[in-house]
Amino acid sequence: MVDIEQLRRDWVGVEFHRADFAIEQEPVLAYAASCGDEDPRYADPSHPDFAAHPMYVGCLGNTREAMMPKEFPDLGPGRSIDGGKSVEVLAPIRVGDALSGRAQIADIYAKTGRSGTMLFIVHRMNFYNQRDEHVATVDLRQIKAVGS
Amino acid sequence: MRFADVELGDDLPETHPDISMEKVRLFVKAAGMNFPRFTDHEFARNEGLPGAIVPGVMSQGFLAAMIHQWAPGAKIHKLDTVFRSTMVVDTSATCRGAVTDLDDEQHLVEIDLTMLGADGVTAVIGTATVELSD
Repeated sequence: MVDIEQLRRDWVGVEFHRADFAIEQEPVLAYAASCGDEDPRYADPSHPDFAAHPMYVGCLGNTREAMMPKEFPDLGPGRSIDGGKSVEVLAPIRVGDALSGRAQIADIYAKTGRSGTMLFIVHRMNFYNQRDEHVATVDLRQIKAVGS
Repeated sequence: MRFADVELGDDLPETHPDISMEKVRLFVKAAGMNFPRFTDHEFARNEGLPGAIVPGVMSQGFLAAMIHQWAPGAKIHKLDTVFRSTMVVDTSATCRGAVTDLDDEQHLVEIDLTMLGADGVTAVIGTATVELSD
């Protein structure tokens, strides 16, 4: 059985990975166009407040090494379920920005129901720009069955 | 749309986002998610899926676009989604939203969001916190 309190003590809030992201115009424009968002702030580079679409940051840093520390204990077999994703927008992200994504596990908790105990892991990446301003937080919730 | 124009329970005009292969290919290239389960129907069927599927995270862009269309100039502070079922590329989809709370001091609006697939099944649920102008 997984020791959830030990997992929390060992891993919650610990930064375990960093990744850099250069914000370029072409993918920023393609993102807005693909989603059909015609708001000129995100679709027109000549707009005075032109910026990356606020949801664009949710596509950055979705790698295995950004999700889980290498040393994180094996939780056993069984399928993980995507529990959802949130994007918190704290400041505009501009073309030309150099972002630093800093990964941590924001929370670990369990819920027990008829089908047994489900472990919830909240993977978080905080994004900072080249001025070290915190511009966004992206949380991805993973749900995994860990026993009855 | 200004904050003063919004009332609790208001529905946002629904949108019908384009989930064609052309748009999904554009999205996955922009997002760095160029996996064949999103862009190749045959590959996806061989994986047991009903066809190439729309990336779950793309729904966040569609829902944000609906909000921006409803309230040009709105600032999305937070958008939280749960992906409940898949949507097949080259079918149809519908985005809906309803105002569930208002913060008079900060001019923030809470919106419940849903995205339905072609079969009418709810594919995505979510909430957004949005700042509107005076």
